[in-house]
Formats: sequence, C-alpha cells, structure tokens
Amino acid sequence: MREINTSSSSIKSSFSTRATKSQLPFGIGLFIVLVIFGLFLSTISGNLSLFWLTGISFGFILQKSRFCFTAAMRDPYLTGGTAVTIAVLIALAITSIGFTAIKYGDFIKGLPISGQSYVVPISIATVVGAFMFGIGMVIAGGCASGTLMRVGEGFTMLILALFFFVIGSLWGAHDFEWWNLNFISKGKAVFLPDVFGWFGAIVIQLLVIAILYILVEKWKTRKQNQ
Amino acid sequence: MDIKNNEFYKKWFKSAWTYVVGAVLLSLFQIVTLATTGEPWGVTAVFANWGAWLYRTIGGNVDKWYYFSSTSAQSTLNAGFLKDPASLRNLGIIFGALLATLLASQFKVKKIKSKTQLVAAALGGLLMGYGSRIGLGCNIGAFYSGIASLSLSGWVFGVFLFLGAIVGSKLLVKFFM
Repeated sequence: MREINTSSSSIKSSFSTRATKSQLPFGIGLFIVLVIFGLFLSTISGNLSLFWLTGISFGFILQKSRFCFTAAMRDPYLTGGTAVTIAVLIALAITSIGFTAIKYGDFIKGLPISGQSYVVPISIATVVGAFMFGIGMVIAGGCASGTLMRVGEGFTMLILALFFFVIGSLWGAHDFEWWNLNFISKGKAVFLPDVFGWFGAIVIQLLVIAILYILVEKWKTRKQNQ
Repeated sequence: MDIKNNEFYKKWFKSAWTYVVGAVLLSLFQIVTLATTGEPWGVTAVFANWGAWLYRTIGGNVDKWYYFSSTSAQSTLNAGFLKDPASLRNLGIIFGALLATLLASQFKVKKIKSKTQLVAAALGGLLMGYGSRIGLGCNIGAFYSGIASLSLSGWVFGVFLFLGAIVGSKLLVKFFM
C-alpha cells in the first residue's frame, strides 16, 4: 500500500480525514492575548498577574487531564469507575505534604502560619453546605473548578450553571448571618497539628489517604467482578 | 512545518494527559499558590462578589449585609472585578481551559439540548452556590485546600460532599437523564 506523505502541504488538505479544521492559529492567538493581558496586569500589580497566571495554569491542567472532583465522587457509585477518585487521593497526599512543609517552615521561624483560611469551624453548616454542594455538582455536571473549565470548553449548560452558581452564592451570602449566628460561630476549628503534633498530623493524614486508596481499589475490583 | 504530526505537539498539546499527571501538576500549582499568595487555592468565595456586582447593576446594594460587612470585603467590592485577584484567577481558569482546547483543535460549542438540562444546570448551580457559602468553600477550597491545610473541616466537608454526590447521582438518574 502506497504511503501518502501528509506533510506535503499541497496534498495535505485533500487527503485529510480530519473533520475539524485546525484551531491551532486561534490557540496561538489566544495565548498571545493572554500574555499581553498578563503583562498589562503586572503594570497594575504583580499580585494580579500572579493570580492570572496560576488561574490559566489550573485551567489548562484541569482541561488536559480531564480532572474532575465531581467524577471522582460520582463515578464509583454511578459507573464503578475509580480512576479519578484515585487521582484525587494522590493530589490530596502530595499537596498535604507541600502545605505541611510550608506551614511548618513558618512555625519554626516563629512566623504566623500561612494559608489557614480554610481551617474553619466545623458545624451543621459544614454538613449541610457540603451535602448541598455534592448534590448540585452531580446534577449540574461539574463542581466549582469543573464548571469554570467546561465554560472554557464551550458547554453552554455550564455557562447557565455558573450564572446560577453566582446567584446561589449571593443568596448564601445573604443568609450567611443566620448560619453564622446559629451554627458557624458555635463550631470549632480543628487544626490537626494542634491535636497530633506536626509530624503526627501529616503521618496520620497520609495513612488515612492510603487506607482510602486501598478501599477504593477494593471497590473497583468488586465492581469489576460483578 | 507540520505541527500536527510533531511528536511533542501530539504528546503535550493534542493528547489528553493522565489523571495522575493532573494530580501531580495541580498539587504543584497548589503549593505554588500557597507559597506565593499566602493562601491556598479557592474558587467560590468570589462568586458572592460577582453576585454582589451583578446585583448592583440592577440597583441592589449589599453594603448592609453581614457577609460583606468587613473592611476587606468592602474594599474588594469597591475595587471591582479587574482589581480582584481571585476573580482574575477564576477568569484565568476559564481561559486556560479554552486555550488547552483550542491548541488541541477540540473546541466546540455544546448547546443545551433539552429543558431538563436547563433545570439541572439551574438547580445544580443554585445548590452549589448556596452550599459553598454556608459550607465555607467548595470542592477546591473547603475540600481540597481544607484537607491539605490539615484541617479536620476538610474531611468533614469531604464525607458529606461524597454523600451528597450519591444522592445527586440518584436524582440524576431518576430525573435528569
């Protein structure tokens, strides 16, 4: 069988079996726009361009790896799929190690510990909020990061979901005073190193993640044998 | 130059990356975020601001709300979208995903096909929005960053996020498929 040299530009288009046109020029064009915008932001403040850069990085990584927290939580139940769940566990483990290192570094230098903004009181509000979020992300087909990612990919359903996400957030902000008064302010924040010490906290956390890893793998085998 | 058949284009930009590669890279950028911004990655806190700005365009005012009462919340609201770092990061996520799709020639507008999808998107969005405010975060902030920050709240959030996802899956199958 004669091989067709598709790299020859004169016959490339007529022998191309690809249905879609190359979007590479648009991609490169967008890249240039994003860089210019980033440079513009840096003239206002370096912090703004930093957030812009990390945002683009997160979006790019999420899209390329199809990483989805919704799928991680939904698939084991719905399809028996566990690949994303395992990946989430790996991400938790690696990030935990990195975060502990930074926080411990602050601690031993006598500095205030960075990044404590998500060490928050545990209360009924946590339970209800997480539960609502879990239902919502599966119904909408995307979590917070997943929704933004899919908006970028062109899913109009998720653009709508994003709009209602914003409305829901405003509604939540409106009711927040009530939740805070009755539940959140009465809850207790638990920073694991305060309970187990720094080394104990990270070791126990990694052990829990490892146990979950094993459980998920066993679930997968069980589902495959059914 | 035939980029389409270049092995590095194909490996880095055309093909999908594995979930594990995603996990490692996301972790890397989470750590970069904590180290450079002083806080972990979060996505949903700003959505309340976006809501407040939208509300302002229709004549509303949130200045008397408890949620926006702190001086930092007020200054963020007054500085506007383009000066809000977290808003720019979320916008970046959208454009980063768009960039990845375009470079792989995979961008395609996927339209809503039924009224059921409309309801699902609206209901799902509302639940996520409300839930993330009272739960003090979402899958990224409360769950991912929370756990990585060695906070028990992250684990509690995770357990109920998972239970909610199970209920959501049942509802999905029953009403929205």
